[in-house]
Formats: sequence, structure tokens, C-alpha cells
Amino acid sequence: MNTLQVQPVARKITSVCWLPPRAGSAYTDTELYFVTGSSAKHKELILWTTENPDFSESKGQDADDKPLATLVAKVQHDGDVQGIAVVSPDVIATASSYGTISIYDVEHSAVASDSLLTLRESVTAHRFSNGEPAVSTALSVQPVNSSDAEIASCGEDGRVAYVPLTRLDALQAYEVDSTVVTGVCWPTPAQLAACTRAGQIKLFDRRSPAEVSAVFVDPSNAYSFECITSHPSQSFRLATGTDTGAVLLWDIRNPKKPTMEAFNVHEANVWQIGYHPADSSKIVSCSDDASIAITQWASSGAASDQTTRGVRHLSSFFNALSISCFDVCPFTRTSLLVAGSDSGNLLMEKSAASDFSLF
Amino acid sequence: MPRKKTDKFVVLRDNEVVTHLVPGLFPAGRQSEWTEQNRTITFALHPLSTRVAIAVAGKQPSECLSKKTPVFEQDQVVHVCGMAALPDERLPFVNDTHAVFAALQGIMEAAGGEAAGELVAVGIDGLLRMSALYREAMLRQVRVLQEAGAPSEFIVSEIETFQSMHAVWHLLEIIYLTTNMPGLSISIVPHFMEWLNLNFPAPSSEDGQRIVDSLGTESLALNTDLWPYLKKLALRGHVATLANMLERVAPAQELSSSAARWARDIARVARDMPLGSNEETSGSFNARWRRWNEELQNTVSAIDSLISGGKQPEANDAELESLYAIADVMRGNADAISAESKSWQDMLGAILLYSEPTSQADRLPSLAGIMVEQFQASEFSVLDRALVALLNHELPEFLVYCNQIDTWLSAHISDLMDHISILDMCRATFAVDPREHYLLALGESYLSHENLWRVGLDYLGLIGSQAGNSVMEEYAMRIPLESDTKAQQVLRMCDKFKLLRAKDRIHRQLGRQKWQRGRLGAAISHFAQVSDRRAVGQICDQLWDEYLATGELSYGPTIDGVMASGLRHDRLQFLTKYRDFHECYKVGEFADAGKILLHILLSEIAPPYAIADLLVDAIPLLEGDELVFDSDATFELMRCAETLLTQPPPASGTVDQGEMSIFSVACARNLARSFLV
Repeated sequence: MNTLQVQPVARKITSVCWLPPRAGSAYTDTELYFVTGSSAKHKELILWTTENPDFSESKGQDADDKPLATLVAKVQHDGDVQGIAVVSPDVIATASSYGTISIYDVEHSAVASDSLLTLRESVTAHRFSNGEPAVSTALSVQPVNSSDAEIASCGEDGRVAYVPLTRLDALQAYEVDSTVVTGVCWPTPAQLAACTRAGQIKLFDRRSPAEVSAVFVDPSNAYSFECITSHPSQSFRLATGTDTGAVLLWDIRNPKKPTMEAFNVHEANVWQIGYHPADSSKIVSCSDDASIAITQWASSGAASDQTTRGVRHLSSFFNALSISCFDVCPFTRTSLLVAGSDSGNLLMEKSAASDFSLF
Repeated sequence: MPRKKTDKFVVLRDNEVVTHLVPGLFPAGRQSEWTEQNRTITFALHPLSTRVAIAVAGKQPSECLSKKTPVFEQDQVVHVCGMAALPDERLPFVNDTHAVFAALQGIMEAAGGEAAGELVAVGIDGLLRMSALYREAMLRQVRVLQEAGAPSEFIVSEIETFQSMHAVWHLLEIIYLTTNMPGLSISIVPHFMEWLNLNFPAPSSEDGQRIVDSLGTESLALNTDLWPYLKKLALRGHVATLANMLERVAPAQELSSSAARWARDIARVARDMPLGSNEETSGSFNARWRRWNEELQNTVSAIDSLISGGKQPEANDAELESLYAIADVMRGNADAISAESKSWQDMLGAILLYSEPTSQADRLPSLAGIMVEQFQASEFSVLDRALVALLNHELPEFLVYCNQIDTWLSAHISDLMDHISILDMCRATFAVDPREHYLLALGESYLSHENLWRVGLDYLGLIGSQAGNSVMEEYAMRIPLESDTKAQQVLRMCDKFKLLRAKDRIHRQLGRQKWQRGRLGAAISHFAQVSDRRAVGQICDQLWDEYLATGELSYGPTIDGVMASGLRHDRLQFLTKYRDFHECYKVGEFADAGKILLHILLSEIAPPYAIADLLVDAIPLLEGDELVFDSDATFELMRCAETLLTQPPPASGTVDQGEMSIFSVACARNLARSFLV
């Protein structure tokens, strides 16, 4: 069990996301920025800055009395922040518990404290048939290098909504499930995968969004899925987290006969899951049991024997409640993981220590 | 058995606050005019938080009034008033201490599993660690508040509260944990001095710095702060600092030669003060102490003889008198100590340090009794009262004062006292279990804060008593479920603490909510969790009715999601089979379609009102080119029709007689064909 560094911020942090380095200065930024979204009493988006560990002189020894991150800008958010997705260094999209998708502009300034977060536009994407707004559970940005990428969001109304970034009024929503759609991701720019409370993965072709092109379930277990993600380069690999604390890795190369492998790394609902950006043979997940697990699901590099598979758990004594979000910074050489919890803490791990306990 | 002083248990009403709405719901001083217009005020308390909804209401329903009674626009508004029960500044502290509290319960539970002998050792060690963590959290909170910038009245009082809490906690830790290790007899004196100087720091280091700075520049006579400062150093046992200061003072011009000599002498003696250590036996320490004390005695009598000798200039030497006082304090003279002490804490510390350096914790009550008599007990603050009660082992009283300092303190300290098994002596005094009572109150106050519902529930659950669980269950059912994720978390808490009734009710509530919102699949899965077969049946009926009304079989995705979660229900099976039947029929697999239809009818999973429709669905199969039903199957179909027609009308639904006769003819023809084949 490794220890995470903790910074109390008195807010329930429900989503967190690193901002890419500003154009032209990639890999040389000494300050890194990330955005957190909070829920319950303080519904806010906050922009934070932290030192880039690649350039820090002290190797994390005397960092105890220094805060992990400093607040740069703060803005009220309409509803609990359910998800944040980065579109570009200056634009982020959020999903809210009032069923809206909002676009925010990040205005960087030479003086950090002058930076601003401003709401550009928002649109209601999810409603129940009786007119009540439905919670939007997650969102994901289409992985294309265009200014007009689409944002997909899913909600408790069982719909997946697509909206082009520049024209929010052109929103389309399709009912895809009778329960709650809990997570959504884009394996390819033309394909969308969603997971549901009833324990199904549903695939869609963006060109015919109303039809489900494939459904995957694990017939041997009755659990629900809380989150989904796709492998950064192998679009046939999907990962889902369950309400029982398992991380499931799917290989859907053969849609008729998908293979699935389960790793029981948590004791409670897995709220978020993602492939490690620096090493996709590791998968990171955070859970209601107040821990983060880094699972080595495939042997990395040349050593191809099975014994290198294992899991590493991260937690903090001072964080007793659910860790509901995390993000690993993909832009630094030193692995930099930031997470947020219901105990109102920002959690961080700045090293690449690797004492995996093997399966 | 503690003395019962009922008069001390009167609940203080200081914490009650009266607030006013500005502007009020009606103009001040116009109540009578206002009430004549049939107006009054109504309110509703929020079940969890401290919020109240207040609105103007009619005394009589509007139906009973004449049309002339005016209606006011401002009366159509509902005001929601909230009182900040828990300031946001406390959130980090609450979360930190919640983590410690949860870990502490875990440690004690684990220690409870050990053999009785080990329990004490494992327990006390763990408790000490947790206790230190609690104190760290309090100190951190004080530091955060002090750094918060502009100190408002609120911040100042918060700082004071946290400092008081720390003082109380630290003293309890010293008496019952640090010096109470089984099998060791540890002197309380060094720990008590540490407590004293940490929680009531004196003299302040700024004072010391100022005086040191001024030594070179000002003349001693003008420096009025110097001697009180030195006396305070002696009183608090800062002997090394005292010695340094005396040596710096001694060469000063203004000092008389004898005063300078004795200042050097006291400095030397002060440096020699014996310090106890664990290796040394108490006998050898006592011998060393006696020698040191005698040396001081000599010093004191020598200075005394100089002063009382009446010879000038010694007789009026103020410095010499101060030195005499310092030496007298260090000699352990109770009168001298009492004369120099500003507070009972000072006096208790000095007496312990200089006259009873090997005392153990059980000596404190009798000493404290003597101290308190010398000070005006009526001028004591709540903190003083709490500390004195603790020193006197008057634990019930102590708890009441703790509660007045802060509810956090009374809750956590009664929990700690329970784990060191000293709470039992209070239980006889209080009508309810104090730990349970204070923890319940704390948990409930946390629940009123939106961010802390889970912390609050956790406290209620970790009390581990019947009352705690039932209160928790009531709250769990009332937590607003704004999102599906939060519902999952509440349900998980219910699982963790085995709140079956709450779980059942939350599932039903969610099921109804989803049903209203048109999320039938999700509704079915919630009702299925609590085996509410009636509700599941009703939703299936609704799906069937929608099919009949629109003619479109659109419920497929709804039930697919539910079936995947492994639910078994007749009505659901019927809907699934029926859809399978349609799919087979659509692709022309008539034999399979017929088999499925027959299975539905024979296994009696279909609701009675659907049977007529099923029989009509069989007609195209009976009349088709291919022979689908053999003679036995046809007989079964005819038997179903027979049963249907003999049933009393309400159970069979509306049976179209025309369609039924077509069905009969089709059956007859099919039967004939089947005999031929």
C-alpha cells in the first residue's frame, strides 16, 4: 500500500482533469495546470497549478509543508460537476447533474492569479420523459484533431447525446438503454462505446447512432458497470469498472465471441478507470473503498513472462471516503497522478515507485 | 462513585440563538392588522439539515372565505431559511478526525479479538497513536485558522475552541494513556510540564527575545519586565534558560556585588537540577534530588540572612529579594510558589516539579484540590472547570464541561474514555450512555451539512449500538438521492451496516421515481432487488398495454437490460418469450414460433387477459401452408380456448367472440390436416 499526499480543500471533488501544456511550450512548462469539479455544497470548477516534477530541484523530500497545488481561478458551476473533458489547452467541457453540457474557456495569463475560467455556452442534453432534467453521468470528447470535435455524454435518462463543440444547438440524443448509462468513450473517432447499470457494453457506429451495433455482457455475473475506457491505440481493448470492485478488460476483436478478463482489485464500486498514459500495460482505477489501484494487466516491454503482472494500491490514512476521480498527467516524464475524494481532499502521487504485489 | 452535583448538570442555554428574517414576513408592529386578513405563518423543518421552509398561510382554507378577502402577491413565496450548523472552515478537520475515528474503531475491534493480556498492550499502543493523530489535527486546524488572514470574531473564537480542545485532550492523554502503561510506573511530572508549556505557553518567547535585546541597551533598573520574566521561567521549570539569563544579568553595573554573586550561584545550581530517567532507580534519583534541594535550602537561608541582617545595602536590595523568591520557588516552598503563580495551572506545575518530582498520576486529585481552593473557582472558565474535573477524576462533570467547549470534543473524548474503560463510572450518573449520546449528537450535526452525509452516517453506524443503528436507518432513508451514484453510495452504506429496512425502502423509492420518469427498465430492476413482484408485474402489464395500443413491439431493450441482471419473474419471462415468438415468426421459422407460443400457454406464465391475444396470434400458424401444430398441440390450444371461454368475464378480459370462432375453425382444420400427415 503506497501513500498518497493529501491536501484538504473542503470540497467534494467529483472530477479532475489535466490541461495539456500550452501550444509551443510542450514539455517545458514548469507549471502544470489541472481543473477540478466539485459537488454538493460547493458546485465549482477550480483551476489549479502545480510544479512540474520534471524540473523541480528538490526530489519531493521537503515537500511536506508545501501545498500540493495552488488555486488559480474559481467559477461556480450549474449543478454537480459529473465529468470534465479537455478539448484543447484553452477549452474544457463539463457534464453536470442538471443534465447540461457546458463549454468553458480557460484564459491563461502571464500572472497566474489573473487566469480565468469563463462559461462560454451550455446546453441541456438529458431529460426524462416527464420533463425533469436527468443527471448526466459522464462525457467524452471525440478523438479527432479538429476544432469541431464532437462531445458525447450519457445520462440517467438512458440516452447518449452527441453535440459538436462549436454548435451546441445541433444536439442529437438517442435512447440506448432502459437503465442508466454510466459511462461513455470513443475507441475510434467513428465508434462509441457505452456501459450501463445493467452490466452491458453497447457499441455504436457514429454514422448510425440510433442502432446498437454490438452488445457485450458477462453472462456469469450480475454486476453493473460504473465506468468505461478504451485503450489509447488498440481500439478493440475496452476496460470497465464494476460495482463489485472488479476491473474487467475486454478484447472485442471477435464481436461474436469477446474475451474478458477480471481483476478484483477493489472492494467497492470502481468510479473511474483509465489506461496509464505512459505505459498502457498498466490500468489505473479509483474506487469507493478510498483507494486507487494500478494494475499491471500485461507484461510490459521485453520481459514477456506472466509473473510481471500485479497490482499496486495507493491510499491515504487521512482520506477515509470514496476517491471518485483521478487523472494521470500524460505530459511529464515523472508520473504525476492527481485524484479527488469525497473527504474533500486533493490527492497526489509524484513518483514512479513500483512495488507491485504480484498476482 | 463520583459525587452527584445535580446543580452542575443544568443545560446551559448560551448556545441557543434567536435569528430574525430581514425583512420579516409581515411588517413589525402590525401583527393584529395582519392576522385579521386571515394570515398566519406556517413552517416545515427539513428532515436532515437545519433548514426551515417558512411561508405565509391562510388560517382558513380559501373555500371557506368570501371572495372579498384580499390575496397578496408577497404571500405566494416560500422562504427557505438555513442556519449554518457547521462552518466550512471545519470541513478538513472533520474529515481528518473522521478518518482517525474510523481507524480507531477498527484497531479496537482488532484488539478485542486478541487474548485478554495482549489487548491491553495492543490497545493502549494503538490508542496513543490515534490520540496523537487527533491532537495533530487540532493543532493543524489552529495553524490553518491563524494563517487564514484577517482574524474575524468567528476565527478568534474558533482558535480558542480548538486550543481548549487540545488542552483537554492532551491532559487526558497524559493521565490515562502516557503515564498509565501497564507494568510501568511513570512519573507524571515531565509530561505535565510539557502539557503546561505547550498549551499555556509562558513566558512567551517574544517577551524573552525583547528582554534579551534590551539587556545591552537599557539599564536594569528601568527594565521592569526582567524580574517577573525570570520568576516565570523558574515557575515553569525552564531552568536552563533561567541560568543563562542570570549569568547575563550578573555582570551588570547596577547589580550589587552580593546580588551578582547569588545570581551566579543560583544559575549554577539551576544547571545542576537532577533529571529523572528510566534507567535510574527512584531511590538513587531521590538521593540526588535531596542533595540538590539542600543546596537550594542553603542558598535561600543565606540570601534570607543577608536581607534580614538589616545591613545596608542588602536590606533594600530589590534584586536580591527577587533572587530570593526564585530560589524559594525552586526549593519547592508552597507559599512562595502560590505567591508567584497567576493561575492554578502554574502553581500545580511548580509544586509538582519542585516539591514532588516523582509523583504519579494518582497524586493529582489531592494536589488539585489544594490548588483550586486558593483560586476563585467562580472565575474559572469552562476550560478550567473541565481540566479541574479531569484532575479530580470527576468524569461525568468533565464530560458536561467538554460538551460546553465543543460537541466534537465530548463525542470523541467519551469514545476514547470508553476504549480505555473509564467511561463506565459515568454511566451510572447519566440517564443515557454518554458515548452513544454525544456521538449521536455529533453524527446528526454532520448530517445537516450537504458534504458530510457519509461522515455523519458513518459516525452513527460506528457507535455500534442499537439506538445508533436505528437512528442511522431513519436518516439513511431520508438522504436526498439527487443522483444514481449517490443512491449507490447510500445503498452501500446500508449494506455495510446491515440496514435491511432502509435498503428495502430506498429501492422501492428509487423504483417509483424511475417509473414516474418513464425509466421502466431501471424501475423493474429496483423493484426486483426487493422482490416486489407486484410492482414488477404492474410495469410488465404497462409494457404489454403499450404493445397492444401501438401494435409495436418496442419493449425489447427495456427488458433485455433487466434480464441481463439475472432477474426471474413470470411476467418478464412471458414478455421475453413473446418477443422471441415474434422474431421467429418474422424470419419465417414458423415451427419454432409455434413451439414458443405453445410453451407460453402451457407454462402458464402469461397473464389471463393476454391469452385471447395469444390464441389469435396462433391463427396464422394454424392456417399456414406448413403444418406447425400436430394433433396433441392442437388439442392443447383448444383446451386453452375452452378454459378461457368458461372463465367468468372479468378474469378473461374482453374476448372477441368473432375472433374466437375463427380460431375454432382454424383449429378444426389444422386437426384434420394433422391426422392426414
